[in-house]
Amino acid sequence: MTSTTSEPVDVTTSSLYLDGFPHERFTAMRETPGLTWHPYGDAGFWAITRHADVKEASKRPADFSSGIGHTNLWDLEPDALEARRSILDTDAPDHTRLRRLVSKAFTPKAIRVWEDVTRQITCELLDDWMEKGGGDWVAEVAAPLPIRVILTILGVPVEDADYLVEISNYLVEGTSDKPSLPADAYGNSTELRLLPFQSPASHALYEYGEQLGAKRLADPQEDMVTMLVQLEDDGDRLSHNEYRNFFHALVFAGNETTRTAITHGAMAFADNPDQWQRILDDPAMVEPGVEELLRWATPVLHMRRTATADTELAGTPIAAGDKVVMWYMSANRDEAVFDDPFRFDVGRDPNPHLAFGGGGPHFCLGAFLARMEVTVLVQEMRKRNMVLETRSPAVHAPSNFVHGVLAAEMGVSHG
Amino acid sequence: MGENDAADDDAAHEDAADDRVTLTLDAEVCIGVGQCELLEPDVFRLDDDENISAVIGEGRLPRDRAEAVVDKCPSSAIQIAGD
Repeated sequence: MTSTTSEPVDVTTSSLYLDGFPHERFTAMRETPGLTWHPYGDAGFWAITRHADVKEASKRPADFSSGIGHTNLWDLEPDALEARRSILDTDAPDHTRLRRLVSKAFTPKAIRVWEDVTRQITCELLDDWMEKGGGDWVAEVAAPLPIRVILTILGVPVEDADYLVEISNYLVEGTSDKPSLPADAYGNSTELRLLPFQSPASHALYEYGEQLGAKRLADPQEDMVTMLVQLEDDGDRLSHNEYRNFFHALVFAGNETTRTAITHGAMAFADNPDQWQRILDDPAMVEPGVEELLRWATPVLHMRRTATADTELAGTPIAAGDKVVMWYMSANRDEAVFDDPFRFDVGRDPNPHLAFGGGGPHFCLGAFLARMEVTVLVQEMRKRNMVLETRSPAVHAPSNFVHGVLAAEMGVSHG
Repeated sequence: MGENDAADDDAAHEDAADDRVTLTLDAEVCIGVGQCELLEPDVFRLDDDENISAVIGEGRLPRDRAEAVVDKCPSSAIQIAGD
């Protein structure tokens, strides 16, 4: 690697994210030709900030690997990477095999099956929340909605849901680098560095997933865990480690990301009442409104890749082994692609946002599920003629990885 | 897309007819996302068992729509024949 001549800009310190995403730093980086170098830990990374460059890196998986080091900023030791390796940290041909095995559960057709139960969960949560006149949107609507949906889809029995919600909340805390559980919580005896998010909650989730998988293998049901344990593709199936890391990834990714999207969406509707009114006035605005919500929220701020050989991107030479980091939020505010990118416009068309990634084989597996959940929520808010108002400033997660919001007090009235 | 349609309807129609291209899909690369069938259900079908998409029929589309579906395919499995 080589360093650029200009002074490196810090974009990783967690406190920079306390008031939300530090947009002004990234706007300046988008205006800088080529890629910018940022020191981080022992090495550093190239920041990819423009829409076209994020797409290009995403679609060059042979040059920019997911399977080397880690897909987060920091490298994992080889044994930790092996233990924690999920579908996210895998290259072809292993990735192609894994993705094909699981993707049939996430096609548009497969997801439609879950729309009715999603609507039922959404209605319950919204009705309760409206009856008490609002409150913390994150804790009372945005968090329970996706976790209840993903647990229903996976086939987690109702009586276990509270336990799973508790575990997954610890994982979400884990993304803000604040370990709040003792290392031996949930009977954990695994070294923390070998667990996702270095959290004993991951041990609990592994263990739960293994037990549920064993039950479903013996007594199959109409749910996704049954499908995962029964998967066969020319005699191929998920290994034990693949299964438990996939179960873990589903519970986490099906939870945190949609929670974040729904929260930023609600905040944007409260802050831009004219835009929400357009949706109230016209059901045809729901679909483009959902896409704008996704662009606005960009729940996952970045993913990292590692160069497999000396190469080049955006005119910048990249050395084998260099880390490159694709900043989706920056791409989603790229002036070259989006007119007036900092304006929330529910009628935006076209809206080629990269909230689900820049394409390529790691394109968000849950994209159609997330779209369905957010669409159902917006439809039901509209049906209830809900008008949200901000009661106190949102509390942002101090994270450079997820665009998390910890609390958002809101009131509600009828429009 | 479509900005000039109203202004020059006949010419646009003729151009669109001339501009049709043939799409191909590499089954070895497809990861079964289902994006193509969602965009162009008359041209692509995702097989429920194999979980791999295929071109159904002649696989012909106007170039702009063909390019959109090529761009949206996450695994870059779709190509325009001759490009």
